Amino acid sequence: MSKTLLIAEHSEVVRNGLVHIIGSFGLFDDIHEITTGSAIESSLIKLDPDVLIINPLLIQPRFPKWVKEFKSGGIGIAAVVYTLFDDELKELFDEVIQIGDTRLKIRNKIERLACHKPKPGKEEVESILSKREKDVVRLLAKGMTNKEISEHLFISTHTVITHRKNISRKLNIKSVAGLIVYAIINEIVSVDELHGGEAI
Amino acid sequence: MAEIIITGEMKLSDIVESDKRALVLFPRFGIELGFGDKTVADICTRREIDLQFFLLMVNTFLNPDYFPDNQLRGVDVDMLIGYLVESHNYYLEEKIPYLQSLISGFKNKVDHPAVVQLEKFFDQYIEEVTDHLAYEDETAFPYMAMISAYQKKTDSPLGQVDYSVNIFEDRHDNIQEKLSDLKNLLIKYFPPANDRYIRIRMLNELIDFEEDLINHARIEDKVLIPVVKQLEKQLRLKK
Repeated sequence: MSKTLLIAEHSEVVRNGLVHIIGSFGLFDDIHEITTGSAIESSLIKLDPDVLIINPLLIQPRFPKWVKEFKSGGIGIAAVVYTLFDDELKELFDEVIQIGDTRLKIRNKIERLACHKPKPGKEEVESILSKREKDVVRLLAKGMTNKEISEHLFISTHTVITHRKNISRKLNIKSVAGLIVYAIINEIVSVDELHGGEAI
Repeated sequence: MAEIIITGEMKLSDIVESDKRALVLFPRFGIELGFGDKTVADICTRREIDLQFFLLMVNTFLNPDYFPDNQLRGVDVDMLIGYLVESHNYYLEEKIPYLQSLISGFKNKVDHPAVVQLEKFFDQYIEEVTDHLAYEDETAFPYMAMISAYQKKTDSPLGQVDYSVNIFEDRHDNIQEKLSDLKNLLIKYFPPANDRYIRIRMLNELIDFEEDLINHARIEDKVLIPVVKQLEKQLRLKK
């Protein structure tokens, strides 16, 4: 089964080091890198990685809640840490990679993450959306952003993102334009309700 | 799919017999059907095609697991670009218009409100693909051809250039993802509409296009970009 890794780390030295070392293990078919915290949520939706390695500093103020939500989506999350960091916060992550870790140690940690967190296989998931997920699809089709959807449904944007990830996984449709077609087919939204008929 | 490795001694006609997907590659090398019993090596000599390069492209195309790292590093940039440009022409002049005609045929046959949106989705996708290919043809490839020509011609260092392969790498996004969405919509979600063979034809073409694009992107990401990076490095070292 193909596996994807996402590395979110701003230091080029550390990032390249991780890519180099983890790449040599051959555990992942794809390794993607991002350098800022702002790109992380969209990258998670788009790439749907099996494992995320993140420097907690990139998402510091919002991360305790955030980590919980994404873990429920089945991703293994490791923190890469090379500054002083609160031990309690470290416990939120599945693994913590220290900058002084040996290659073997890193390998063991990554293998645990990659192997012990199997995502539900695409075939096993029933392509039936929950009521809430349908709400999200309907609002997306109307052209709303994640933020607008969160305000409309009185949920956090992280929850919207988690819904979107689950929707994409259940339906195996990743683009909004594809979801719109799905929504019309299933009468979740009518053609007249579409945002100016536009789909991006 | 049978996983044979194509070699220079094989007859072109036998390759087609064993895997019909090879057919689509011939025009990309200027090879025309009607080749009798000629072998790969024969036709490469006759048409001045580099045999190793031809084998590499055919084998990676037919077998996704065939990816000999050691052979990929030395690939000639101009040959690669020639191959990629020919592939683009095929997508733009053959594949996409045919897909468009199938989708519009499907739209005419099927009476369902979603079919209009489906066509719109596809049209937007085609625009994205066209932009993606045009950027490569008009900006990225000319730059690569330029530095390759420079490397072959002269020993003096290259002057200031406002482009590098890193820019290409950064904006080289995935263009097959929406194709997969479209495929799933047609397989799983679009309701039965008495469309019979037209939907099957569409799916066959979409799956074919998707495979071709995946291979194409793999050649660009795993062969072209590393080779051009190497070239840029050599140019910087020139004194």
